[in-house]
Amino acid sequence: MKILYVNLDILFMFISGILLMNYFSIEWSYFRVIEFLHVFGSIVVSILFVLPFLYKHIYESMIKMGHNSISGLLFGFIFILLLISGTYLFLIGNKGGDIYGIVSYNVHLYSSFFLLLFLMLHLKKFFFSRTFTILASTIILFLPSDAYSHSKLLTNIVFADGAKSHHSIDWTNSVTCKECHPKIFKQWADSNHRHLADSNPYYMVLENLAGMDRGKKFRQWCMGCHNPSAVSMNQERTTHFMDDNNMPEPLFTKGSQNLINEYKVHPYRLEQGVSCITCHRIVDARPMGNSSYALDLTKRKKYLYEDAYSDTKVWVSHKLINANPKVHKQGYMKPLYKKSEYCASCHNEFLPHSGRKVVSTYEQWKKSPYNNPDKPKEHKDCIDCHMTQLKNGKFSPLHGSSTLGGENKKDIKVHYFAGGNYFLAGLKNKENESQSIQLLKTSAKLDVKIDKGVLQVGVKNVGAGHKLPTGAADFRELWLDITVKDKNQKIIFSSGKLDKKGDIEKNSIIFNKVFGDKDGNPVGLFFWRYEKLLKDTRIPAGKRVVERFSLQKAVKYPLHVDVKLNFRIYPQWVTNIVKAAYPQLTDSPVITIAHLEKTFD
Amino acid sequence: MLRLSLLAIIIMVVWIEILPFFIPKKPKKNYSDEKLREIALSRGMHPIPKEYDKFLKLLDSKDNLITKEKVALGKKLYFDTLLSKDRTISCNSCHMLSQNPRDNKQFLEDIMHPKDKTDCMVCHIKDESGSDRLSTAIGVGGVTAHNHLNTPTILNSALAKYRMWDGSLRTSQAVIAPMIHGKYTMDLSTKELQKRLKNTPFYREEFKKVFVNGITFKNVVKALDVYQKTLLTRSSYDRFLDGNNSAMSEQAKRGFRDFIQLGCKGCHTGITVGGQTIQKFPTRNYNHIIDVTGIFSREHIGRETAAFDFNFKQYQRFPFENKGGFLGKNNQQLFRVPILRNVTKTSPYFHNGSVFDLREAVHIMGKYQLSMELSETQIDEIVAFLKSLDGEVVEYKELK
Repeated sequence: MKILYVNLDILFMFISGILLMNYFSIEWSYFRVIEFLHVFGSIVVSILFVLPFLYKHIYESMIKMGHNSISGLLFGFIFILLLISGTYLFLIGNKGGDIYGIVSYNVHLYSSFFLLLFLMLHLKKFFFSRTFTILASTIILFLPSDAYSHSKLLTNIVFADGAKSHHSIDWTNSVTCKECHPKIFKQWADSNHRHLADSNPYYMVLENLAGMDRGKKFRQWCMGCHNPSAVSMNQERTTHFMDDNNMPEPLFTKGSQNLINEYKVHPYRLEQGVSCITCHRIVDARPMGNSSYALDLTKRKKYLYEDAYSDTKVWVSHKLINANPKVHKQGYMKPLYKKSEYCASCHNEFLPHSGRKVVSTYEQWKKSPYNNPDKPKEHKDCIDCHMTQLKNGKFSPLHGSSTLGGENKKDIKVHYFAGGNYFLAGLKNKENESQSIQLLKTSAKLDVKIDKGVLQVGVKNVGAGHKLPTGAADFRELWLDITVKDKNQKIIFSSGKLDKKGDIEKNSIIFNKVFGDKDGNPVGLFFWRYEKLLKDTRIPAGKRVVERFSLQKAVKYPLHVDVKLNFRIYPQWVTNIVKAAYPQLTDSPVITIAHLEKTFD
Repeated sequence: MLRLSLLAIIIMVVWIEILPFFIPKKPKKNYSDEKLREIALSRGMHPIPKEYDKFLKLLDSKDNLITKEKVALGKKLYFDTLLSKDRTISCNSCHMLSQNPRDNKQFLEDIMHPKDKTDCMVCHIKDESGSDRLSTAIGVGGVTAHNHLNTPTILNSALAKYRMWDGSLRTSQAVIAPMIHGKYTMDLSTKELQKRLKNTPFYREEFKKVFVNGITFKNVVKALDVYQKTLLTRSSYDRFLDGNNSAMSEQAKRGFRDFIQLGCKGCHTGITVGGQTIQKFPTRNYNHIIDVTGIFSREHIGRETAAFDFNFKQYQRFPFENKGGFLGKNNQQLFRVPILRNVTKTSPYFHNGSVFDLREAVHIMGKYQLSMELSETQIDEIVAFLKSLDGEVVEYKELK
């Protein structure tokens, strides 16, 4: 009898393992359960039954009785191979980065056939008489019984097809990704995508303002891109973290520590902002804008316990993914993600009631020389600049692996999401700030000349594939700071200085756009009231604009001209308003994108 | 022996898991709208009246009649910081309401000119929650509440049977004096209050008009009590109970059914949907090494599967951090059942405000009070129902 049990055990391990082969490509809901059964069933069965039996069997037949069976020895050898490779796959996994994982995987797969062959040879006299019983029991074991279809239903309650509603469980918290992708998590954790909603003071104030001005429902317009998880859960507004009576300082917390802590204590709480899952589960995107992307959260293939909150189960799920990560990779990485159309679904923005374009970064790129699919060398997509690492002011793609133990890549797409907003990221992490500032500094060049007493300053957009500045350009300040000194170091001309309050002085040259309402008054914070464009002095990609300033007639040469192209992400008056609700907020620093000093004789 | 006992455990687990399949399934009752309403009304879940005479019948008392002038005086006192020792806080500081809730310009005004508004109020004054959005209340001089207690909403509290987290006070009038005198609240003596009021010409006149004996501490309490009584809210739930079937969404109705069938309404009952009884919390504390909770079907009566979890945590009294160490009435973890009306606006939750998310609070209540692991869909539906309890303060014409 004992032999029969052990045979059944081995057969169980074999069949459950074989079913995991790509060849069978069984339905995902079965796959995940069988994978779990294979791994943990094998551990239990081996330790409790197979190993003790083998030990006893070998001891009795080879040592006590002196038998010498070649098939038995070969079986033993292969069994040890399988044991070692299986343990490696379980504890370390086949993540793609190390050769041992790949070898283990193949050894584990192919030697199992040999194992069965040698088992049959070894059991010749038992085998045929028992075949029927064994086959019958395995068929019973693997019949898709009620129990399976039910576990499918359990998960399907949450991940219903064509889901009408979503749950916080669908929005797998980004903290869970950290375990295997620590580098990427770290980059994202202080990036502006992470801090788009609840932890962004400017956004919170503006969403409240929009809700107040145009009614509760209008908040959804903001939330579509800023806070998709809350939209899917039918939440009416963005909510922020609280730590006892205080608002934790999301402004200065490095590495999203508050999110990590929150997840530990309240795993059920919905993560807001643009999380890992938001972008990596977009299955389709149109470049129209205003969150024109398709999310598929419920139909993704999840390994067993991938959504579990308890430590034990999470540990198990990591093992299951690592042992066979193919499905995981397919589920979260799509060719679409490399295209600009994908980013355009949010980086194009228009007013829903009038269709007026508020942000048209993608359209600007489309018209720019960077959109050149015929010449792959000149063609640059969004991620080629905004997701490529910068070092010493130059693009230098990051080498290494994005996953712990993963394969080596030549150009890891970094998740700093470097762009215009150096300020909020910089409050948390200097590396994120530096990436943005380096990128900003590649964008423009200055030139200067004096011709017949007229100072001519040229600004050329050399690096950006869109206008400078882009995005919410009505809240961006890009301006010229000019100082001209004569022979005696006396300032004879000055423009673009900050006054005591921190505002740029009047009559400075500012490159931006200004929205006006229907009466032609500037809209201020209420950009959804935009009806008429009052001013647009942004610099298109690859274009140069020249600003002229006439100097006093009688000046003593040589003249020393000092021109700075300055940038500030939020004007001081906007920061002042946000400070009413967030007193701990600091003022946005001014960045010099380009600097030129020249002496004219 | 080890092998056998491990095998026994495995068999037991499998048995617990497959047991539900052998028990015949009885479908859950799906109530029609009329039936749902009938059940709710028969269990004492009445709507807040929109008619003035019904309102009077509910709340008017002979020793403190509700009159228009008295309500106006009470409102004035409610928003007046004169009631606190250092003149920094009013009733409204913790039980936040805006004086003119229909005034849409308030927020813009506040944010452009943030004079004496605290930073939270800038965004939350429009919530009309009757509670602060803090874990624990802040009294005069910035002291936080004793025992780290959370501020319950004042809305509809006049209709509750018990007040305070331990249910120690029974009438709405009884609450006011401890709030004014309390060291952690407004910390103002009777004498000082009377002196301050007498020094204010407005109050001298108004009190003379409203009360026969002018300014006394008792009259202050009476005026505030009357104003408190007018803070009743009506919501889509009330309109549904009044007979409007389309007032509540289908999801909210399913949530209402769950609320009744799962047993929530056992404690959260009455016109206020809570506040009528004192109950133990938590009834199960899950401090064993292995936790087994039932997962219940939405369609059938009975358990579907069991959720297992290992628990290596220390003994804990509450399923959240025990901030402040408050243990309720007689230190027996007996608490007044909170009022669920306007619950979506009154986060954070529980007596010490440790839980910030409503869905999480619902999950905790299911698991620790009813011993069931609510599915995400059930939580969704219940939350939809709780949203339908959100209302606006009724403005009786007679008091305008």
